[in-house]
Amino acid sequence: MIGEIKMKLSRREFARIGCRVIIGATAGSAIIESIVTNSVASEDPPKGEYDWKEHLWGYVIDTRKCIGCGRCANACKLENEVPFDEPVYRTWVERYRELKDKDVKIDSPNGGINGFIDDVPAEEINKAFYVPKICNHCENPPCVQVCPVGATFSTEDGVVLVDYKYCIGCRYCIQGCPYGARYFNTEKGTADKCTWCYHRITKGLLPACVQACPVGARIFGDLKNPESEVNKILDKERINVLKPDLGTKPKVYYVGLDREVR
Amino acid sequence: MQPHLKKAFTLLAIAIIGFIVVRSFIVPVSFGQYGWYRGDAIIDSMNFEIRHAGSATCGEENCHNSIYSIWIDSKHKTVNCETCHGPSEKHVNNVRIMPEPVNDTRDFCGMCHFKSAARPEEFPQIDPDTHGENLRCAYCHNPHKPWFV
Ligand code: HEC
Ligand code: HEC
Ligand code: HEC
Repeated sequence: MIGEIKMKLSRREFARIGCRVIIGATAGSAIIESIVTNSVASEDPPKGEYDWKEHLWGYVIDTRKCIGCGRCANACKLENEVPFDEPVYRTWVERYRELKDKDVKIDSPNGGINGFIDDVPAEEINKAFYVPKICNHCENPPCVQVCPVGATFSTEDGVVLVDYKYCIGCRYCIQGCPYGARYFNTEKGTADKCTWCYHRITKGLLPACVQACPVGARIFGDLKNPESEVNKILDKERINVLKPDLGTKPKVYYVGLDREVR
Repeated sequence: MQPHLKKAFTLLAIAIIGFIVVRSFIVPVSFGQYGWYRGDAIIDSMNFEIRHAGSATCGEENCHNSIYSIWIDSKHKTVNCETCHGPSEKHVNNVRIMPEPVNDTRDFCGMCHFKSAARPEEFPQIDPDTHGENLRCAYCHNPHKPWFV
């Protein structure tokens, strides 16, 4: 009688303990494995000859030089497979015209790709100039903060990229960007943006827009290299960034920016 | 411990294990390698295809060396070959693949040179209505060296 009860109890006990041990061991090892394999930041830069720890990219736009030919925006679309038949741009050129009556007209027909037509007589214009726009690759990127799945991120060398295989297309980042620098790529079904031609700069080439600019209004270089042209301009010129009060810390620096430019 | 609590704990444990197992399947291996993103995405971005080869490539030995050598000390030396001729990396890799035909209309040169109020004044601009008698610009100017006589 006592033996029987003991037997029953111990069988149950055995099953219970066994279950707990199995559950505990699986959970424990799974947790440890997930921590070990994923969350530990690796010290190794991406494979290949390019060492991203040696660079921090920066971009200077000299608005005083821009002639508004739009070859930058055109070259960008060609280099990066940005759809031509949609009004989406990784970089574009805006035209600012302050009229005599202090009215400010801002336009960017097709991003400037087809050039600009003077539709206001020169006599009515106080001042007019072009402002090239591009992703600012902020040090504090709002778009990265709002991405729910980690499909957009800042690299060690200071570039904000999109993971096209991982993006779920929720468009939060497009809403989150205060510069309107992101767009939805209907061909890929993901958010998309300027990469500063990451495939080019990591091979020692210039971004396509910088190469296309005929007047040197776009200057690209390494902020970690004291001899680079961007650093020389940052040392010498009066520079500005767009919407500095937002605290995004852009890495696109403007020379000769007018107070009207937003 | 009371049985309903035990049941609850067991269910919780199963739920946690289920979560971890499912997570280990759907989270990519390289996620978290450098930060809260997929490390391999960087490699994907680096491996995107290059389209613009650069003017120096055009000027290589046995290629467009003569055009390159007049262009390099012309007023147009800041206008790269591919700005007019289009992306040509494919052509560089296989000379049978020709770049897009060049746009030799007046309007193309005009995107840079037609008079415009917003352009810096010192940039050379012309009035399309009076300059060049409505002829193609290349009729008088060599696009590779605008002041070639
Ligand atoms: C400002 C625009 C422009 C630039 C810059 C330019 N080209 Fe051209 N290229 C033209 C035009 C326009 C033609 C057609 C000429 C004509 O119709 O007479 C042409 C024709 C050519 C041709 C075929 C005709 C021939 O003479 O054999 C070659 C090859 C060529 N270009 C190579 C180059 C190379 C190499 C560069 C860079 C060093 C370059 N081009 C830069 C506009 C340009
Ligand atoms: C992408 C812009 C661009 C295009 C397209 C372009 N040019 Fe130019 N052109 C320039 C630049 C930049 C200069 C140098 C201006 C300077 O020295 O300040 C220049 C200089 C010139 C000059 C010399 C002007 C001077 O005052 O010395 C002539 C002439 C000229 N271009 C003609 C042409 C013709 C003809 C075409 C079409 C085949 C053409 N350009 C297409 C950008 C362009
Ligand atoms: C009939 C021949 C001819 C044609 C066609 C022609 N040009 Fe000219 N171009 C000249 C001559 C000659 C000059 C120098 C005298 C002058 O400034 O008018 C010149 C000067 C220029 C200059 C320098 C102006 C300056 O103020 O420095 C530019 C820029 C220019 N041309 C661009 C073009 C463009 C763009 C086209 C096509 C839309 C074109 N030209 C068509 C003959 C021509």
